[in-house]
Amino acid sequence: MNRFWKWTAGIFGVLLMAVFAVLSYMAGSPRDAYGMVRYALPHMHRGTLRVGSDAPDARIVALDGVTRFHIRERTQQRPLVLVFGSFT
Amino acid sequence: MGDVVQIYEDYKDHADFLTVYVREAHPTDEWQMKSNVKDDVCYAQPKTFEQRVAIANDFTKRYKFPLPFGIDEMSNAANDAYAAWPERLYIIDESGRIAYRGGMGPFHYTPAEVREWLAARYGAVKHETPKSPAGVAPASASGAAAPAPAATSAPVAPAK
Repeated sequence: MNRFWKWTAGIFGVLLMAVFAVLSYMAGSPRDAYGMVRYALPHMHRGTLRVGSDAPDARIVALDGVTRFHIRERTQQRPLVLVFGSFT
Repeated sequence: MGDVVQIYEDYKDHADFLTVYVREAHPTDEWQMKSNVKDDVCYAQPKTFEQRVAIANDFTKRYKFPLPFGIDEMSNAANDAYAAWPERLYIIDESGRIAYRGGMGPFHYTPAEVREWLAARYGAVKHETPKSPAGVAPASASGAAAPAPAATSAPVAPAK
C-alpha cells in the first residue's frame, strides 16, 4: 500500500510539472504561468450576463475624479458600446 | 485599443461609447509583464481612488484617447457586475439589454465582433487599403504590420 501511494504521488508530481511546463511555454515564462494561475484563472468563467440579459447599472466616475454618473444614463437613445480595460 | 478607436471614429454618429477603467491587469506589485517595462507602463495596483484617477488620466493623455471615459469606483462595482477584468467589450441596446457580450481579454477580446454588430445595424464602413507599388509584396506577406487603413466617412451599406 505504501508503495502504491508513493507511485501515485510521484505520477501526480510529474503530471503537475508537465502542466506547469506547458503553461510556461504558452504564457511565455514560468513567472507568467504563475501569474496566469494566480490572477487570471479565478476570473475565467465569471459573470452570469448573457445576450438578452438586463444590463446591470453601476456608478462611474469621470476623469475629473468628482463627477459621477450611471451607465444606465447612457443607454436610453442609442446602443452603448462599453469598453472595459486598464492601462497595463 | 487602436481597433476600438477606429470603431469609435466609424460609428460614433450611430452609437454611444463609454470606456470604463477597471483595476489594473498587470501592475508592478502583482503580475507585471515584460512588455509593460518595455513600454514604460509601470504602475502599482491603486490602493486609493486618487491613484486610480491619476493612472486613468495618464492613459488618456498619453494616447490622446478620444472615447468618452469613466472610472470604476474602488468597490469595483462595474467590474464585478460585468466580469470586466482584465478587458471586455459589451454592447447594450436601447432597451437596456445586453446585445453583445465579448469574451474575457486578452485572448477573447475581439473588437471585430463589435464592428460586425454595428455594421449589421448601420452598414459597414469601408476602409481603403493603400495600393502597394508594382512589384512590391504587401507588407503583411513579409510579416510586417500592415499599414493603417484610411476610412471613408460614410457607411457603404444602407442602415437598417
